[in-house]
Amino acid sequence: MTTSARRSKRTEALEQRPVNLDGFVEEWPEVGMVAMDSPYDPEPGVRVENGVIVELDGKPRAEFDFLDQFIADHAIDVEATEQAMAIPAVDIAHLLIDPRATRKDVLAVSRGLTPAKLLEVVKTMNVVEMMMALQKMRARRTPANQAHATSARDNPVQVAADAAEASLRGFRELETTLGVVRYAPLVAIALQVGAQAGTPGVLTQCALEEATELELGMRGITAYAETISVYGTEPVFCDGDDTPWSKAFLASAYASRGIKMRFTSGTGSEVQMGNAEGKSMLYLEIRCILVTKGAGVQGLQNGSISCIGVPGAVPAGIRAVLAENLIASMVDLECASGNDQSFSHSDMRRVARLLPQLLPGTDFVCSGYSSTPNYDNMFAGSNVDAEDYDDWNVLQRDLQVDGGLRHVPEAELLAVRNRAARALQGVFAHLGLPPITDKEIEAVTYAHGSKDLPPRDVLEDLKAAQSVMDRGVTGLDIVKGLDAAGFTDMAHSLLAVLRQRVSGDLLHTSAILTPELETLSAVNDTNDYAGPGTGYRPSGARWEEMKRLRHVVSAQNPEQEVG
Amino acid sequence: MADTGVSTRRTLRLDERGTAGPGGRSDEVVIGLSPAFGDFFTKTIVDIPHAEVLRELLAGIEEQGVHARVIRFRGGSDLAVIAHAAAKLSGSGIAVGVLSRGTTMIHQKDLVRLSNLELFPQAPLMDLDAFRKVGRNAARYAKGESPEPVPARNDFMARPRWQAKAALLHIKETEFVVPGADPVELDVRFQLADAG
Amino acid sequence: MQRPCNVTPLTVPGVTTPSQVDLDPGRDYPLAARRPELLKTPTGKRIDELTMEAVLAGEVAPEDLRIAPETLRLQARIAEQSGRPQLAQNFRRAAELTALPDELVLSIYNSLRPRASTKQQLTDIADELESAYSATLCAALVREAADVYERRNILAS
Repeated sequence: MTTSARRSKRTEALEQRPVNLDGFVEEWPEVGMVAMDSPYDPEPGVRVENGVIVELDGKPRAEFDFLDQFIADHAIDVEATEQAMAIPAVDIAHLLIDPRATRKDVLAVSRGLTPAKLLEVVKTMNVVEMMMALQKMRARRTPANQAHATSARDNPVQVAADAAEASLRGFRELETTLGVVRYAPLVAIALQVGAQAGTPGVLTQCALEEATELELGMRGITAYAETISVYGTEPVFCDGDDTPWSKAFLASAYASRGIKMRFTSGTGSEVQMGNAEGKSMLYLEIRCILVTKGAGVQGLQNGSISCIGVPGAVPAGIRAVLAENLIASMVDLECASGNDQSFSHSDMRRVARLLPQLLPGTDFVCSGYSSTPNYDNMFAGSNVDAEDYDDWNVLQRDLQVDGGLRHVPEAELLAVRNRAARALQGVFAHLGLPPITDKEIEAVTYAHGSKDLPPRDVLEDLKAAQSVMDRGVTGLDIVKGLDAAGFTDMAHSLLAVLRQRVSGDLLHTSAILTPELETLSAVNDTNDYAGPGTGYRPSGARWEEMKRLRHVVSAQNPEQEVG
Repeated sequence: MADTGVSTRRTLRLDERGTAGPGGRSDEVVIGLSPAFGDFFTKTIVDIPHAEVLRELLAGIEEQGVHARVIRFRGGSDLAVIAHAAAKLSGSGIAVGVLSRGTTMIHQKDLVRLSNLELFPQAPLMDLDAFRKVGRNAARYAKGESPEPVPARNDFMARPRWQAKAALLHIKETEFVVPGADPVELDVRFQLADAG
Repeated sequence: MQRPCNVTPLTVPGVTTPSQVDLDPGRDYPLAARRPELLKTPTGKRIDELTMEAVLAGEVAPEDLRIAPETLRLQARIAEQSGRPQLAQNFRRAAELTALPDELVLSIYNSLRPRASTKQQLTDIADELESAYSATLCAALVREAADVYERRNILAS
């Protein structure tokens, strides 16, 4: 470009648009910098001998890497594979979008498909067709949503209040993580307490290194786990210090303690780590999806997740992200579908990236939505944050699409934030943890983010966090603390969540607890979409709830607002 | 984009002086460079010239009265590997590792490789001042002090802007890896380029 | 909700094995609501004994909030009948792991990481799982890992 060239006023205006702060790169298929259409991806194919898959996507068994072998031996149904693979990809795509074919009809085929075949199927589909398919293939009939509740200062009081607000706004799962990892026990307790202050039955998790995450779960300080990462090439899997077998064992370990869990993967992680073996991002992600399936895990968080800047920078990258959500659902896994990381400087692009999951509905549309302003989001920001709540509610109302949230009047929000902070104050006192002052409670009731809060004594908190681990504090101690502080309803709700691990009902695909503490999963809330007029559609009380916004002019008296 | 604050252009000359060995003096910090730093690549992900990066690191170390040695590691492009290997060659046991794109780490030889003293994972946030402070802190560790860590910066919009470019830079740098190659001691010279 | 009455309630734990219970996912899931009589903690308590009063009276310990192997095998059958054989298999491996202490579970997980164990070490773990805990499915998983790790060169050297 010549520097002296005169620029038009329009170019200058366009240069100022936020979208031009986003990064875009050229495709480079040789190193895997390509979304889903690479000449180096294998051709689909399978060969079975004596009940064993001896050739997968053109590779003989002796050359299988560990993902190939795990997928061939655990994920693909050997009985079904040759017949399923004989069906042309475009016919399978038709099956996916044809409302007269049921979800079950698709599963009968998808159980026998190889990674390259699944890729070939979605390559025949545009995004509208994929959304059609996702609407049918989502495992749970009722969609839901997940929130992040974190604090830039790891302030437990803030996390409790934001968790309570998020819980009241409709999220069924809440996830936290830390800036300073040693803070984890206090923040996980705060999340657990806050979650119960909103609506009962909200499940919580704390994203940490695998072994620590399991320990908090075993103690009942968290209710489920999600940060169990899998990768699409052998070297990157090993860089993550795991294999499909170690991860399958970990999955059984969680189930053995009655704890719900899902794996995490996403397009772009392999090329980001410089070892994509020259395969497209989506092909490698499909291998992750099938490893998850083969490990017997009920679900997967995918949709690029923390690598969204990579598929987001290449052509058709967001189509590939939708395709990975679709394939997870199409092989009968719960799908927590991303939309959980800062994605674009452009509001227009943020929404466009969101609609393919919001419109068809997924098990968790976001995984998660930042319940704080993004500056407090310790997952490095989400695609949507606390300042987008009203926009989200309007989108739901405009399109009559259920994104799992609702408008809540400010008085109720203030009450629930205050109550969560007071409950945490009581629990901390009961457990002998550093005091939470009335001044902190007052501040957090009205706060937007951590900048609005008085700082805590971090060193004292960290000492206390260590003592929580040393003393063996469990979820039962939190129940007792809630009761002792006079928050008996929250104590009951938390005990009900803990009791779930005795029955194991939450271990099934796509399970959540309703505010009535009933288990809703793909077993008893099977997606029955069969075309227009069927499947989940917001109606009745839920639709009335969705109609409410911060400002709606009254029809009775246009000088006033309703709600 | 970070303001690089560079008005005059300096060029960097790195002459190889043979295989690098362990340092004898306890008052030195080693700066470990990635395979293509100041070679195929000339600037960080936000266009800070490598000459300026190195100059700030060296200045930060030397202003503390500590000696600096610059070594290139061609054997790998993993920052932890480079920084840890550099720390093992450092007479004080302290080293700074830096990748071409600007990601930086202070390491100590007795820590495990996947640990570190200070890590600056977001290359787009590394400006001249940050590199100067990294050099200063490394020198203070080498003197046995416990400096306040350089304040970590965080920008939640860095990912949408830089993540894919960072991946490309990493892949490109990895192409210059020579497996098993010995670390090489470098002579560093800065020259002021003609205005142009 | 009315309990289905076509099943003999389990009065003596351990007499009826999970495989003998008549289960229908559509009718019996979720078990906590529909078939609570089938659910016992590993310590032998009924799920309806895990009340707030019992917690406050100190009659509920963390061990009481664990899942029993029989329960996991019931859930495995529900998974199987719902068309999810892999999930069922995971639940059956989990049923075996209920007998292992937390530290052993974590240590086996760490041993299965790449380059963490020799083939002999993994074989020993599999043998222990089988002989000490009758964990045949988990033992098979570990042996399979040992073979693959050897072929792919990710054993400890």
